[in-house]
Amino acid sequence: MTTSSLATLRRAVDRLLEAILALLLSAMTLAVLWQVASRYLLGDPSSVTEELARFLLIWLGLLGAAYAFGQKAHVALPGLLRVMERRAGSRTAVLSRRLAHWLPVLAVAAFSLGVLLVGGARLVSLVLDLEQRSAALGMPLGWVYLVLPLAGLLILLYCLCDAVEPRPGAHARRHLDPHSDAEIGDRSA
Amino acid sequence: MSWGPAAVLVGTFALLLGLGVPVAFALGLAAAAGLVVSIDAGPALTTLAQQSATGLDSFALLAIPLFVLSGQLMNRGGVARRLVDLGKAVAGTMPGGLAWVNVVACTLFGAISGSAVAATAAIGGFMTPQMTREGYDREYAAAVNLTSSTTGLLIPPSNILIVYALASGGASVAALFLAGYLPGLLLAAAIGATAAWIASRRRYPRASAHRARELGRRLVAALPSLGLIVLVMGGIVAGVFTATEAAGVAVLYALILTLVVHRELRLREVPRVLVEAATTTGVVMLLIAASMALSWVLAYERIPQAAAEALLGLGGGKLVVLLLINLVLLVVGAVLDMTPAVLIFTPIFLPVAVELGLDPVHFGIVMVLNLCIGLCTPPVGTVLFVGLGVAGASLGRTLRFLLPLYVAMVIALAVVTLVPELSLWLPRRFGFL
Repeated sequence: MTTSSLATLRRAVDRLLEAILALLLSAMTLAVLWQVASRYLLGDPSSVTEELARFLLIWLGLLGAAYAFGQKAHVALPGLLRVMERRAGSRTAVLSRRLAHWLPVLAVAAFSLGVLLVGGARLVSLVLDLEQRSAALGMPLGWVYLVLPLAGLLILLYCLCDAVEPRPGAHARRHLDPHSDAEIGDRSA
Repeated sequence: MSWGPAAVLVGTFALLLGLGVPVAFALGLAAAAGLVVSIDAGPALTTLAQQSATGLDSFALLAIPLFVLSGQLMNRGGVARRLVDLGKAVAGTMPGGLAWVNVVACTLFGAISGSAVAATAAIGGFMTPQMTREGYDREYAAAVNLTSSTTGLLIPPSNILIVYALASGGASVAALFLAGYLPGLLLAAAIGATAAWIASRRRYPRASAHRARELGRRLVAALPSLGLIVLVMGGIVAGVFTATEAAGVAVLYALILTLVVHRELRLREVPRVLVEAATTTGVVMLLIAASMALSWVLAYERIPQAAAEALLGLGGGKLVVLLLINLVLLVVGAVLDMTPAVLIFTPIFLPVAVELGLDPVHFGIVMVLNLCIGLCTPPVGTVLFVGLGVAGASLGRTLRFLLPLYVAMVIALAVVTLVPELSLWLPRRFGFL
């Protein structure tokens, strides 16, 4: 696959994920609001919406995590290799720049492949085999956990895009400005 | 238990973090490394995947994306400007006038948005030019802005207190929310008083007095924004809805306020805000999922029990152990993000604190206040770097203003640790304890 078609694919995945995320978050908000309304209007809190909202959160959280990885939004330290890069001579600088680009991508890919894709797929097949169903909706729990391998695949795709990108990407460029590390800083705080 | 898996886990995490791997992935890989030395790779990966997913399966956690969404909706509008205007009318004439304004605005904004980073960016972007124009040092403005923005993490609604409720396995979110008020205000007062002390030593100007009518007008202008807090907390305290349901109502309120009342957001901009809120949610949820998996591995290796025995075995008594826990958390907070710090260290330290007779709600407030300090210190102070970036100040020149503010925060931490009633009086008063 050529670089440009990979970039096209990445943009398409971005747009698709954005639409899905906006829908999931809207649905979650409505489910929680219905939870309040059903208790006061019908005098009977809906256990269906409670469970639905919880499952939506798992999907929203993990798909959001995949999208956030594509947007370089996850929290990371500048890394020791970046510091070395600024201080070292030109040959070491090239080497440490390559390592600083590759090692985090490899680590993210390892987690996505091992825990999310392989671990998640094993979990899905295990739970489907046991025919476990959710309490209120009666939905097979395998469907809920399906988001694990899906998020793993998406992050792997983003890793592939980052790896073949010919020039240093947005991630590397941001590091050139000492203040900009804060941009990708903590969103949880 | 053996220390082998723990060493592998901590070593892997430190190495990956140093290499610049995003924190959530470093946590997940560290958990995997710690577990595969004990059990087979296949079951280990399945278990980690399961722990990650079930770690997110909680009705309480639903409040986080909803508060993030309502906060980001509110950030769109002129909430920052209205709060700064109100702060000026309330606190502008005190010594170090604009510094107090900054503290008041940051506290209110932090409470509404639930995000210290957002408060630093929004209020700092607004206040720094005004403060430098009136003769305040840029570095002073940055230092006051970024430290005071952490108070919003204690003053409800607060996402980190929800995270703590999850980690504590049973502390009530409503009790934690009420418990955060007085410690949060104490922290704001300590920062404000220190800022004023520096201001009077450096002879910064104070603003002229506002008339009472002006104060009233500005209060009315800020009232709809502050109404979000009243609605959320009023509803929770009155038992009308749970914290999660309150967060859903907050989204509805923020939508109506920004779309209809203030008209500062257009309907077609809403999808963009949804995607931004979902992105932030993804970042937080992956941190939570990975931290829960890592926490499970620690429990499987019986690390919390070992740590508790070691701490209690020192035989130093309650104060010594609390001092030690606080010191460890100060170090942890300096190098680790707040969410994983809370999720990983609550299962380790909370049993010890309970054993020593502390209420879990009180301990949660101590922990969050402690970790607020870490947000403002290098090397991994996310609020610190956002605050410096917004003000265009360098760390080296800002540090001399930050040091007395750190001291103020540590004093507030000591007071909150030693006086449980400061945290427990309000939740008890309203029957949540």
